[in-house]
Amino acid sequence: MTGIAFLLLFLAALAGYLVNRQAARAIRAGGAPLHSLGLYHGGYAALMMLVPGLIFLLAWLALQGPVVDALVMAGLPEGTVSEAGGAGSAGALVLAEVRSIASGRIFGTPEAWKIEAAARMTALHGGARQLMLIGLAAILAGGFAFARSRVSAAFRARQGVERIILGLMIFCSLVAIFTTLGIVLSLVFESWRFFAMVPVHEFLFGLNWEPQIPIRADQIAGAGAFGWLPVILGTFVITVIALTVAVPVGLYAAIYLNEFASPRFRAVAKPVLEVLAGIPTVVYGFFAILTVAPALRSGASALGIAMSPNTALAAGGVMAIMLIPFISSFADDALSAVPRSLRDGSLALGSTRAETMMKVLFPAAIPGIVGGVLLAVSRAIGETMIVVMAAGLIARLTINPLDSVTTVTVQIVTLLIGDTSFDNPKTLAAFALGLMLFLVTLGINIVALGIVRKYREIYD
Amino acid sequence: MNVMTRAESSVASDVVKISARDVQVHYGTTQAIKDVDVDILDKTVTAFIGPSGCGKSTFLRCLNRMNDTIDICRVSGRIMLDGEDIYDRRIDPVQLRARVGMVFQKPNPFPKSIFDNVAYGPRIHGMTQSRAELDEVVESSLRRAALWDEVKDRLASPGTGLSGGQQQRLCIARAVATGPEVLLMDEPCSALDPIATAQVEELIDELRTNFSVVIVTHSMQQAARVSQRTAFFHLGELVEYGETGTIFTKPRDPRTESYITGRIG
Amino acid sequence: MSEISAIGGPAAAPRRPGITNIARRRRSERVLQGLGLGAILLAFAMLATLVGSLIITGYPAFTQTHLRIDFPVTEARVKSDKPEAGNYRALMQDAMVAALPDADPAAARKLAAMLSNSAQFALRDRVVADPALIGQVVTMTVPVADPYDQLAKGLVRRDTPEAERRLTDAEIAAFDRLAAEGRVSRPLNTALLSNADSRFPEIAGLKGALIGSFYALMTCFVISFPLAIGAAIYLEEFAPKNRLSDIIEININNLAAVPSVVFGLLALAVFLGWFGMPRSAPFVGGLTLALMTLPTIIIATRASLKAVPPSIREAAMGLGASRQQVVFGHVLPLAMPGILTGTIIGLAQALGETAPLLLIGMNAFITAAPATPFDSATALPTQIFIWADSPERGFVSRTSAAILVLLCFLMAMNALAIFLRSKFERKW
Repeated sequence: MTGIAFLLLFLAALAGYLVNRQAARAIRAGGAPLHSLGLYHGGYAALMMLVPGLIFLLAWLALQGPVVDALVMAGLPEGTVSEAGGAGSAGALVLAEVRSIASGRIFGTPEAWKIEAAARMTALHGGARQLMLIGLAAILAGGFAFARSRVSAAFRARQGVERIILGLMIFCSLVAIFTTLGIVLSLVFESWRFFAMVPVHEFLFGLNWEPQIPIRADQIAGAGAFGWLPVILGTFVITVIALTVAVPVGLYAAIYLNEFASPRFRAVAKPVLEVLAGIPTVVYGFFAILTVAPALRSGASALGIAMSPNTALAAGGVMAIMLIPFISSFADDALSAVPRSLRDGSLALGSTRAETMMKVLFPAAIPGIVGGVLLAVSRAIGETMIVVMAAGLIARLTINPLDSVTTVTVQIVTLLIGDTSFDNPKTLAAFALGLMLFLVTLGINIVALGIVRKYREIYD
Repeated sequence: MNVMTRAESSVASDVVKISARDVQVHYGTTQAIKDVDVDILDKTVTAFIGPSGCGKSTFLRCLNRMNDTIDICRVSGRIMLDGEDIYDRRIDPVQLRARVGMVFQKPNPFPKSIFDNVAYGPRIHGMTQSRAELDEVVESSLRRAALWDEVKDRLASPGTGLSGGQQQRLCIARAVATGPEVLLMDEPCSALDPIATAQVEELIDELRTNFSVVIVTHSMQQAARVSQRTAFFHLGELVEYGETGTIFTKPRDPRTESYITGRIG
Repeated sequence: MSEISAIGGPAAAPRRPGITNIARRRRSERVLQGLGLGAILLAFAMLATLVGSLIITGYPAFTQTHLRIDFPVTEARVKSDKPEAGNYRALMQDAMVAALPDADPAAARKLAAMLSNSAQFALRDRVVADPALIGQVVTMTVPVADPYDQLAKGLVRRDTPEAERRLTDAEIAAFDRLAAEGRVSRPLNTALLSNADSRFPEIAGLKGALIGSFYALMTCFVISFPLAIGAAIYLEEFAPKNRLSDIIEININNLAAVPSVVFGLLALAVFLGWFGMPRSAPFVGGLTLALMTLPTIIIATRASLKAVPPSIREAAMGLGASRQQVVFGHVLPLAMPGILTGTIIGLAQALGETAPLLLIGMNAFITAAPATPFDSATALPTQIFIWADSPERGFVSRTSAAILVLLCFLMAMNALAIFLRSKFERKW
């Protein structure tokens, strides 16, 4: 049905285009000079149908589900859900069951009122779809009638079309703003609900992270602890390990590529580093558990050191491999942006190439390099798959790299994988962690991008 | 071709500092310099003039092997500094460049303090033993570059904050600080305003007392004002070389004459 | 000139301060070079180790051990009026007893575990399709179960003590005997691409994940490409230089650096929570990936638009074209190769993205390929994650193989991008 609606929309728009273009050409054939080409008259009709039609369809599709759900829930017989306090988890459970009955998946023998509700749901959806088609047809007809009525020799169809297109383009550029707003709103909203259950100070300053949920509502003992400090400490440990390896290696690689490498070596090395940068992080994660962690463990046991299977070292080390090309390409760009005249000036004073690099070019490129390293920090903090696969799950308050630690992203993923209902602190804790992650990385990114932008302006 | 009349009073010295023979320079497959023979005198300002693209800057960069930093550039022939072939395998270009300093077209102070700019050369070459000695070298270099009085109160402020003329004099001080024997200047005034140009030209004249100065310039007037000897380059060849006065008043080669008259009128 | 040379002669070179320390300076230059080269070689070595270990563990998964075995389909086990309800599990055991005549029948029956669990369904489908087979001996070549597959590939060491092996000596002996009879073969593992997921490694494949990734990527492209081009054209060609444009620009750059898992949270809260979209659906995955890819494509598109020289715009404007006619008629077509290159690179990134898809449930265990973008499905990277998490040994090499498949797609996409860039790129 939805497919038919979209097909109708596009076909009608095409028809509107052709009809209006024909009408405009007829006027010109009649001898009147058109202000705009027939093409624009046709385009005007098509846009007048497409834009409102599309808005209508998308809005309808987004609202149909929730509205039907609300109607079905409101229509349930007295005393079936209301005793659980109206909405909440009981309501959601009933709704899920009704939905699955409506879609034909029946488990066990549901009560008669549920089957009845499912039938109502199916009927409502069917009716809604028909209504949607009728509404769409009305909008299309209205749009066409309006556009057709405006076809005349003097009508500035081109300006009309261009105004609509400009509006569409402005909308496109606002999508990025909407996305950011959506992120902020959803994180803040869900975190708000979390902080209604767990006090803010307990989250921010608590030293225990044991996100269990009570199985029954009256089970207080298993309420769990939601202090994020051990989690952020684990993130910090892994980030420090990753950067300790990646920053020197990345910078030395960039220095070599920028100053010493022959053009032929550079032509090979740059794409290889790009390949390294393009490998998905899930692959790095598997590499960590397949190769790096066992190698580290056998190395450690050869030295007589006991090592937990998910050490921070393995996760951080593999993350370092991911960050090396990122840092080296940033540093290479920053070094290349230093004007050649500085290099010549230094060489002409009799410095070696190494002295030129370390005493003139590198210091001159420091702002750009710092920006790149900061972006790498933010990537390390936000990196998910490597740590989900290679780091631990238990939050420990430790900075020992041979221990197993957990990170913010690991906790977000493990809390949300599988069953997700939005009314227990376990699920909502993930959003609180997500909010903190977003704020921390956003802060670093803004500073880093600001530095990089300033740096580009110096040498442009 | 360069049989010269002996100079009278304007040439301060007739000791040959640099002598070049059969110098050829290729960029990839194109030849930029053909068979250049030239003798550059000590304690003398030598000007290289000629139309754009004639190879005068390229030749200048051969004298301290700055062309080595361009991958596709090949230099052949012999260039002797005090009788030593500077393209000899045993010569380290790094040491050579400490003896043959260079000042560029656009002022290129490092993004460091004024002091660190001047101290850069002495530091990398390990020329001074103590901070006091370094201070002394920096001060005397800045004095020689006629910049000391303008910057002595703000040695710690960045060199890039100076005006264009001051920056260029800072670059000259920086080059002087390594104690070079020859100073190469590649159109040192082309990015400067007339007042700054006058200051730098005055400075060049003073520098002559200690160094051999080679200056590439676009401006005939400048060549006439500051140099004692002039070389005219055309299409990669050295057309004529001799006393500046002679070149400008009685050029022997018709190409020189047309270039000079075309510009000076 | 010769005169002067004669008079001059080499002057005594003054003592050069630099001469004393030049050896040390050259040494430290070599140290720096060595460190730099070492850093790059370290990165190369890491890449080689990564790819090497994936190939070594992954290549066995591209073949699958099969066993040719005769099933005596008897009326006792399968009734001809109801062939679909037959006892095919028992037929497996019968076949084993027949194949190993000198073994104890009770022990031989247990050896039916040698055959993949899928064999009984394959046999059932064949018999149901052709009931005339009842009463005959049906010879089929079926995959063997994972432990035997590992044994045949030499991944299970025979010299480990029996207690630490997953196969007993007797099971190994029986398998060797069948192998000696020429019943064991190891053809190319086409099931890896043509089957959907399964709990049994020997029949698990990537079909569902490939189709899921395809739907997600198409959704991502259809949504992000027009939005990104619209936004980029507006920002580059039409937007007034004011505070709003600045905010949009800073916002886009920051959005490109937001951790991917945060997009997963957004999708979970908004798409699934507020709009009630289906869980695990590639369409929702694609929607999420579109939001992530948007900044990448916008930045690439703006760079390509910027690279078109202003002279083109001026020339068209001079002919009386409107600004939109100039942009859509002249600038955009010239910038298209660069835009497509950026788009493909953005899509390649999206193809490897895992975390947001996990949060919207695209890590579900689903044994059928999705028919539409709205059905539950996995995607390639989430399938890799699922398999990496599976305890069966056979999934280790299958995970590596799946990664190799993913890397092949990424390489193909990047190669296409490089081709487009080199083929159509103009130097102005």
